[in-house]
Amino acid sequence: MFSYYVKLAYLSCKRTWGMTLLMVCAIGLGIGASMTTITVNYLMSANPIPHKSEQLFYVQMDSWEPNNTYDDNGDAPTQLTYRDATYLWQAQKAKRQSIQSGMAAVIEPADKEVLPFMVQGRANSADFFPMFDVPFLYGSGWDHQADLKKERVIVINAELNERLFGGKDSTGQTVRMAGEDYKVTGVIDRWNPKPRFYDTSTGSFNDVEDVFVPFSLITEQKFGRSGNTNCWKPTESGFQAFLDSECIWVQLWVELPTAQDKDAYFSFMNAYAKEQHQYGRFARTDNNKLRDVMQWLEYAEVVSDDASMMMAMSLMFLLVCLLNTVGLLLAKFLGKASEIGVRQALGASRNDLFIQHLIESGCIGLAGGLLGLILALLGLEAIKAMYGDWIRDLAQLDFTLVAMAIGLAIVSALLAGLYPTWRACQVQPSVQLKSQ
Amino acid sequence: MLTMNKISKSFITDDVATHALRDIQLHVNEGDFVSVTGPSGSGKTTFLNIAGLLETSSSGEYLLDGEDIAKLNDSGRSRMRNQKIGFIFQSFNLIPDLNLFDNVDVPLRYRGLNTAERRKRIEYHLDQVGLASRMKHLPSQLSGGQQQRVAIARALATSPRFLLADEPTGNLDSQMAQSVMSLLEDINKAGTTILMVTHDPSLAARAKRQIYIKDGHVSELTNKNSNLHVVGEA
Repeated sequence: MFSYYVKLAYLSCKRTWGMTLLMVCAIGLGIGASMTTITVNYLMSANPIPHKSEQLFYVQMDSWEPNNTYDDNGDAPTQLTYRDATYLWQAQKAKRQSIQSGMAAVIEPADKEVLPFMVQGRANSADFFPMFDVPFLYGSGWDHQADLKKERVIVINAELNERLFGGKDSTGQTVRMAGEDYKVTGVIDRWNPKPRFYDTSTGSFNDVEDVFVPFSLITEQKFGRSGNTNCWKPTESGFQAFLDSECIWVQLWVELPTAQDKDAYFSFMNAYAKEQHQYGRFARTDNNKLRDVMQWLEYAEVVSDDASMMMAMSLMFLLVCLLNTVGLLLAKFLGKASEIGVRQALGASRNDLFIQHLIESGCIGLAGGLLGLILALLGLEAIKAMYGDWIRDLAQLDFTLVAMAIGLAIVSALLAGLYPTWRACQVQPSVQLKSQ
Repeated sequence: MLTMNKISKSFITDDVATHALRDIQLHVNEGDFVSVTGPSGSGKTTFLNIAGLLETSSSGEYLLDGEDIAKLNDSGRSRMRNQKIGFIFQSFNLIPDLNLFDNVDVPLRYRGLNTAERRKRIEYHLDQVGLASRMKHLPSQLSGGQQQRVAIARALATSPRFLLADEPTGNLDSQMAQSVMSLLEDINKAGTTILMVTHDPSLAARAKRQIYIKDGHVSELTNKNSNLHVVGEA
């Protein structure tokens, strides 16, 4: 009977094509607007590393000034001081730990015809790559010894490898950066987690860096740091004074596979805070935090309030569109009262009629969903045009979102069709047959 | 086959009750051809609607093939209509979007027959009414008489035991009306019981039995077959 009902829906829509078109447009507009904002929100709030997001923790230690908390909520600072971060990293208490910060440097290509150019990079420890399951096209990251020995090693991304080495396996080759030669240990394959969870301080949706070098080299001052630096206490002049200061600018991630590991690490953090308290630091020794990836992204408010507000407004718009659809469906179905009466006389039960008209509503919803998809694609293109490159990867429909758009449209149309269908099924056949 | 005991029907609007039928007593046997006449507003159509399970009575007992209709829910009444009753209406009531084939197919769909069986029945009954060659035509492409023949084919497609006709010739000219009436007589001779509402005395006279409804009461005017049974309260 399903195909029969679909055929009846087609004939019915063909007969009342104007009204049907209005309904398809109403649903399409609502779905288009909703899916545009849902897509952005969905991708903003996606889990970038779902298989181990509950094992990776961002470390927050409250080294902020004694009389004021870091933020209005009294939470711990979002980065660590160099002193605290290196202590925790060197303790090697977690299965893996990545100490890191943003950096920037100039690369001097071997080909003298090519002008030097600036790259964005990351200074991180060796565990960064296995912790975050970074995929490699060639080679791998470096080892812990390279961190300790401050070896000039570098990992580059596929785009830079293409630019410098024509895309060939460049492991063992050297890259001249900031006046020194760095040996390539690996080339990262295409990897662009969204949100870029491991560093939200410099843009949660920025692209992954071009180069990665050992964090320990940052003390050599061969390249510039990039990222946020916040200080609550004046620092003395000199780089060493900066490293010893209370300025926060270093990030630390740890991998803790079990709850016991997490508890143990948290105890270790608090013990360190208490120890530092004895030296006049850490006024709030119990205000430290270990947040897993999704908790961290939520805390960092990766999904902006604007995006959430836009989504709420677009869903309200969809509701308005559906209310209009309810009215149109009501008019359409009650206009078929005589046919409904005839079908009842010929043996259709109210259940049969209910299913028939609900399928007709669903077909209209499907058409509206397809139109909505086209409008959503246009909407996303408009967003890309308005906001630029940073949102490029967020303004794309994947299979899940396409299925969601179609599903949302059909479910919306079915909901909109419930009351008109129910009313249509209440038609008294005797009245309709006589009025013919 | 059809028995009505003290069937009454009232419509209540704004606290005013209108009695369309009052204590109807009627028994119709298999193979009967019963005409129902009466002035406008006398309750003929209400009577036919109750007989065809399109309306329920306010009181009384209605047995169709021994089954108490009051005990059936909507699905049960729908199934009974589909399996045992065929309808023919004054204004044909064909579905305008569907061609003749699909119009006749409507009750068969609700019967749940397979495609081959449905096709066989549709082709047979359209051939029976002389429209087999036009099964892909839309109702609007046919004359009134032809449309009524399609309606008859549709009514017969489910092989009903009971055919209800509400002014089947009301919208036809006299020649077409005679043609349709002859068709109904043939159907009756083949064994289908017919209950026909009509205003036309000459057509009513061609039925085996005539009953008359006035002010909600029913009375038998003729009784050509001896084995029936109407009690009127006129």
